[in-house]
Amino acid sequence: MGKQTPHSTEPLIELTVNRVVEDSNTDTRIIVLTRTDGGAETFVVWVGTQEGESIRRALDTAVTPRPMSHDLIKSFGEHFGIKTERVVLTDVKSSTYYASVYLENKGVVRTIDARPSDAIALALRCHAPIYVTQDVWKRRSGQNLDAWLNKLETKNIGTQEV
Amino acid sequence: MITQLQVKGLMFDPYNNAYIVILRGEDQAEMLPIWVGKSEASSISLALENVAPPRPMTHDFMNSYLNAFNAKVISVVITDLNENTYFAKIHLTYADSEYTVDSRPSDAIALALRSQAPIFASESVIRKQSSEELDQWLENLKPEDFGKLDS
Repeated sequence: MGKQTPHSTEPLIELTVNRVVEDSNTDTRIIVLTRTDGGAETFVVWVGTQEGESIRRALDTAVTPRPMSHDLIKSFGEHFGIKTERVVLTDVKSSTYYASVYLENKGVVRTIDARPSDAIALALRCHAPIYVTQDVWKRRSGQNLDAWLNKLETKNIGTQEV
Repeated sequence: MITQLQVKGLMFDPYNNAYIVILRGEDQAEMLPIWVGKSEASSISLALENVAPPRPMTHDFMNSYLNAFNAKVISVVITDLNENTYFAKIHLTYADSEYTVDSRPSDAIALALRSQAPIFASESVIRKQSSEELDQWLENLKPEDFGKLDS
């Protein structure tokens, strides 16, 4: 199952962005991801408002009148023929996640470091798969956040700026 | 005709709850204010002050993306003003070819500052800006409106 990174022999876990939740207490956005293989557990990443809204727009396939930052990166790729192959959540330190974006052009693969928010925002626009390493999956935070998330979402009904 | 401009600074516009990027020409004759959102302003501010954030911001990521394949930003041009919205073009070279990509001025400026590319504005954009109106508006700003960016 899944693709493998050159550094690990363990298979990666593919994730799907499930939804973007507004955390009005901290003015941040929570990206809720689920396992593509259907597991019930979630993987949550806190991101800034701007990045969260960018991910929400990509999820809704909303088209803004003007290209936003991640649309511009996608546009560079389209002009140059650079393909976003996949993004991988590679590490977690002090509750902060790190990601790598795998890019390919004419057989040349380049990997760049990114915040998960930028990586996910680009992946959704380029229809690239999102993976997490087994290690990061095991060390994910908020494993018991489901109840809390539901409460937050109920509270937010009516205030969501979709 | 296009004129080269420098980013002179950022101001907070309390009336619109937005930030203004102030661009000026070499001889200070031309001035072009561009209203941008908070996160774009903070990205431009970080580049202006040469501050490397602990984590790459979106425009740093954008810059890494281009660097990874040796794509170079040659220049950015603020090309048009239509119903109070500015438009910009980013000129790049990649694999011996030239490309022009449409963008918002805020993204173009944030990227230009990170890639040491010059910023230009077309004559029509600068001319459309009534400098008298702007001077008056700037004069009416109170000192406390010139706050530091908070992020």
